[in-house]
Amino acid sequence: MLSRVADNLYWMSRYMERADGILRMLKINYASSQDDQQEFSWKPVLRIFSYLKEEEARAFEDYSRVVLPYMVINKENPNSVVNIVTQARENARGVQDHITKELWQCLNDFYHTIRDEHLIRLLEREDPVSILDVLIKKGILYYGTIDLTMARGEGYSFINIGKFLERSLQSVDILDVKFSDVNYDFARTHTTYWRYLLLSISGYELYLKTYRSGFDARNVVELIVLNEDFPRSVIYSIYQLQRYFQRLRSEQNQDAYRTIDFMIGKIRSKIQYSTVENIVDQGLHSYLKGVREELYHVAVALDQHYFAYS
Amino acid sequence: MQASELLDTYYVDANTWDEMYSDAGVREQYQGIVSFMQQLTVEELNKKEELARSLFMSQGITFTVYNSGEGIEKIFPFDIIPRIITASEWGFIEKGIAQRLKVLNLFLKDIYSDRFILKDGIVPVDIIYSCPHFLREMYNFPVPHDIYVHIAGIDLIRNNDGSFYILEDNLRTPSGVSYMLENREITKRIFPDLLPRNNVRMVTDYPNILHKNLVSLSPRQNRNPTIVLLTPGSYNSAYFEHTTLARLMGVELVEGSDLVVDRHRVYMKTTSGLQQVDVIYRRVDDEFLDPLIFNPKSVLGVAGIMSAYRKGNVAIVNAVGNGVADDKAIYTHVPAMIRYYLNEEPLLKNVPTYQLGNREEQEYVFKNMDKMVIKKTNESGGYGMLMGHTATAEEIIAYQNEIVKYPRQFIAQPIISLSSSPCYMNGRLHPRRIDLRPYALYGPEGIQIVPGGLTRVALREGSLVVNSSQGGGSKDTWVLAG
Repeated sequence: MLSRVADNLYWMSRYMERADGILRMLKINYASSQDDQQEFSWKPVLRIFSYLKEEEARAFEDYSRVVLPYMVINKENPNSVVNIVTQARENARGVQDHITKELWQCLNDFYHTIRDEHLIRLLEREDPVSILDVLIKKGILYYGTIDLTMARGEGYSFINIGKFLERSLQSVDILDVKFSDVNYDFARTHTTYWRYLLLSISGYELYLKTYRSGFDARNVVELIVLNEDFPRSVIYSIYQLQRYFQRLRSEQNQDAYRTIDFMIGKIRSKIQYSTVENIVDQGLHSYLKGVREELYHVAVALDQHYFAYS
Repeated sequence: MQASELLDTYYVDANTWDEMYSDAGVREQYQGIVSFMQQLTVEELNKKEELARSLFMSQGITFTVYNSGEGIEKIFPFDIIPRIITASEWGFIEKGIAQRLKVLNLFLKDIYSDRFILKDGIVPVDIIYSCPHFLREMYNFPVPHDIYVHIAGIDLIRNNDGSFYILEDNLRTPSGVSYMLENREITKRIFPDLLPRNNVRMVTDYPNILHKNLVSLSPRQNRNPTIVLLTPGSYNSAYFEHTTLARLMGVELVEGSDLVVDRHRVYMKTTSGLQQVDVIYRRVDDEFLDPLIFNPKSVLGVAGIMSAYRKGNVAIVNAVGNGVADDKAIYTHVPAMIRYYLNEEPLLKNVPTYQLGNREEQEYVFKNMDKMVIKKTNESGGYGMLMGHTATAEEIIAYQNEIVKYPRQFIAQPIISLSSSPCYMNGRLHPRRIDLRPYALYGPEGIQIVPGGLTRVALREGSLVVNSSQGGGSKDTWVLAG
């Protein structure tokens, strides 16, 4: 497979995963804004998903009807959903002969839907959840189309590598930012805060089934970092990342393969053999920061060994 | 309103061949579609038009126009009413194009080797050596199977007596074939059952024939040669076509930066190292193909590709240097070439063409500017044209001054009236001028022409310019089985 094609597939997938993460986050944060005002702020969302300076963010972090258009359709914001979907589509456009026609049409439809001029009115005046739901469903269609139509070859591996690398980074970021917002206070017992955090990464129902004793910060960390059955947990994403990376093993690229396989294996062990207790002991922030840096090194190494073509 | 009324209001411009109507009424080949349309209401036709538009949009059959930094997706305008060609008309076109393509290919072989045609004085030497597309790099290089023009898009128009004329020969990187294929797919959706009921011949074989020809050109005797389609990249206006063809043939779509030349062999950079490339179907112009030989600033090509080509380690399609045969100044001499190489009379006629380097012809043209179209010899896509009957006095004078300075860069042709065809616009049928570009494929086993082609339409009222860059659109083109 051409290095450029692998690069495009990987980035198409990373962007689509990011769009999905942002949309879910926005939907839940908006719901929270209609609920408990004490506990609510747009600040974490803006911190994770925008490049705004703190004082710029402060100017509109309390106004849902400003944040939503900014995060969904503002073309000046590099991380707005419209820009991210455009990037995903541009990447897909360059590899149309490597993705199925159905997948291309699905991305193309998503792109045309989100560029529709009526969106701004819906986001500013009417029920934004309906429109966020439409967009989230377009994303689900994208995942389903990949699953049903894409051949299980090298391209499929690169798509999944991008997807799970992006997802693990997102989960790390969400957890870190949400905890830093409450100064890593593990004694905090306010239910609403943890409920919306879990809802925003689709882990609420699993949490209820796993922990019967109400909300506890340690359990939240355990679910999001260590639960192997939770598809958005850090450990699940890294297992998947390793699984799809190992499919790239071939005769020709042994050195590159070994280097990156080692890096992924190291992160995997680090997380697999952690417990909530020792994560809290060494400090949640420094633990997450460490994971983040190592994932970043994997991304750089992939770029160097698999995507370098210029 | 019933669509039958809309047929009653259709009119034909004076002195013009209309594809649908003759003095005796609707032509036989159009009876099928006309009676189908008569059962529809205008609302239903509008819905079909809307369906066609949304199909183009959702399939991404678009080109991007960059305006104030932001890309705007546009669709190439499509008219829902097909253009229909009868079996006997097609039989004639097919023979005529095959004859012409065969001769142009012989001409290229001759001009890049023995040059008999120059020595025998059939074609003047100076128009060859002054042609910017004549490339000395191709001299005495035996291309595989002696084929230079693997893919040709020869444009035809129809004069008011109904006979076909050659408008121009496109032998470099003719585009538009994806629209021939996609327009047909759209027709299947908007006019269910109409294609089989009218006995329309299919065009879907095109990518398979092309792929088979490309495989046969591989210099390595390998059952599974590596074939690539070289595109200038996603900002190119024909990018959609490049992706479509790559997908339909199952070949790799590459950009210049994906390829590298090492020891006169071309490789592509893959995730598992370098892989040797055997055949390149390039959609990059000669000038940009190799920065070591041609334009040194080009980043679209591959450094060293010409040396690999000349060593015979890679096949390039179409061959390099073909521009010397489709130049507008050479065009005039094609009928003479047909007589010279084949000892046959040309089947398809040339539009009379005046060489402005010739004093008498120049004088004649200047006297009759209002009946002439002036074209630049080295431009295409409808750029650099002056239509004498609509140009202002200043424009004419400006052109005449240029012509006097650089007579080799211009030719003049009498304005030929293109045939008209009904187009559905704003709830009515309007006659609009059309041309026809069939796609001919030349492989080791001979010339094959897929029954169909691209019918381009001048959508502006009274306009004779069909190029998409000048507000043209297209139609599905039906060739009926006998």
